[in-house]
Amino acid sequence: MSSLDPHISRQLREDLAPAVLRSVVQTFERDLGRLAQEMLAAARAGDASGYQRAAHSIAGAASAVGAVALEREARLAMDPAQPEPPHILLPRLMREAQAAIAALKQMLG
Amino acid sequence: MRARVLLVEDTPTEAEIAKAHLAAFGHECRHAATVAEALRLAAEWPCDAVLIDLQLPDGTGFELMRALRAARHAAVLIVITVNASLDTAVEAMRGGAFDFIAKPYSRARLRVTLDNALETRRLRAELEEARAQLGRGSFFGFVGASPAMRAVYRTIESVAASKASVFITGESGTGKELAADAIHRASPRARGPFVALNCAAIPKDLLESEIFGHVRGAFTGATESRAGAAKQADGGTLFLDEIGEMPMEMQVKLLRFLQLGTFTPVGGTRTERVDVRIIAATNRDIRAEVEAGRFREDLFYRLYVVPLEMPPLRERGEDALLLARHFLELFSREEGKDFRDFDEAAAAAIAADPWPGNVRQLQNVIRNVVVLHEGPLVTRAMLPARLFQPPPREAQAREAPPPAPGQVEPLAVVEKKAILAALEHTGQDVPRAAALLDVNPSTIYRKLAAWKKAG
Repeated sequence: MSSLDPHISRQLREDLAPAVLRSVVQTFERDLGRLAQEMLAAARAGDASGYQRAAHSIAGAASAVGAVALEREARLAMDPAQPEPPHILLPRLMREAQAAIAALKQMLG
Repeated sequence: MRARVLLVEDTPTEAEIAKAHLAAFGHECRHAATVAEALRLAAEWPCDAVLIDLQLPDGTGFELMRALRAARHAAVLIVITVNASLDTAVEAMRGGAFDFIAKPYSRARLRVTLDNALETRRLRAELEEARAQLGRGSFFGFVGASPAMRAVYRTIESVAASKASVFITGESGTGKELAADAIHRASPRARGPFVALNCAAIPKDLLESEIFGHVRGAFTGATESRAGAAKQADGGTLFLDEIGEMPMEMQVKLLRFLQLGTFTPVGGTRTERVDVRIIAATNRDIRAEVEAGRFREDLFYRLYVVPLEMPPLRERGEDALLLARHFLELFSREEGKDFRDFDEAAAAAIAADPWPGNVRQLQNVIRNVVVLHEGPLVTRAMLPARLFQPPPREAQAREAPPPAPGQVEPLAVVEKKAILAALEHTGQDVPRAAALLDVNPSTIYRKLAAWKKAG
């Protein structure tokens, strides 16, 4: 299953000039790096709200570029009722993040 | 429509996409990532729309909306949310949002929502402006809700869009210049200059230079070239007040200017072309002036395309009191006084007076009251005694017996008395006093200057 929603990928390509889209993907990559670090630090410090806030931002960014699998993992992390602890969920989220970035770069060609 | 849009979004990826869309729409965009930053930007950068992400680092989008509403910010608010549930939508609308957009959104969706919001905002602003004008009985600086003034407002609105010349008639003090200014401000030329020239206040031999300018050395004292009113009004409106006082030879030159749209500055050789809308005004009976041969018929027809008659204050019903209250508030503020209103007797006197000097006279009376007295109420005793006297009967005045031989005074004394009486009668309105005395206003100005010099 692709990391990206094909409908949103197409929409982004139609709506944004290639240079703008390239810049958006670079920003997304930077966002993920920063937010993943924030999630990790919050998990280590036992800061649940910080962890959820960073997960919310990842979900928003992922949603904007159509990275549906990443968005799904981020939404799980945002949900205080879900049972998976950070040490299980975070590695999976990171993998999806890398997959999303790879798929976006592939889309840019 | 190019608009100013404040984007409130804390996730850089989303902000970058939204900014790219807004730039593509041609809108000017500023970006805030927090509630605090958004409030600061909204205060210093008046914007038309705010796009608000609900989840922000230092608060929620709902809190931001409440703060913007409390600050009476006029921008239209649009919520951008991941959670497009009914509850969120209801809460957003209750918070004052115009609409909400679910993430992720396409450029087309953002465009439709934003265009609708901006159009609604524009219409709302127009409606509020119209309501304000009707409700307060005011219009482009005019105060008054009488049927006579509403007719004036309608005419002004109708003629504003055209380039047709407007000829404003009416007694002195009825607001002819205000009407000319309103036509200009309501017209597509509103961004251009509005230049007013009082033909009666300028010596005859200087009038041509005042209107068309002069080149250096054109006459004694012309040490520099100077643009005249026609040139200064290029792209806007030229208001020629007291046009009935314009000398015949100048009328010919003005007619030529109106026919050709070109003029030659005094002493110059090059013709210049300007794009000017002409509005003329007079307190004289201009048709009688034409019949008497004092005003050119061809010029009259060039200028008298759209006539606008300004009603005298005595025909404006309750406007006198409305205006009096307006001036009382204005002058109280200017003079640092605490006047609030008129007592019953004062209000009745104001409403009943014929105000021969019209709004200008009323304005002078109220200014005088505010300067000389203390509030909070204007009483009957503060108003000039004339307001409580029955109007002089013209018939009696005409039938007054001639003075006895011993009472005959030198002509200069009689002349001074007559001029001062006319000025008193018109509330120190020189053009109207001149009209009553059937002399040129410049005659009165000259006399006043001479008396002042003589001490």
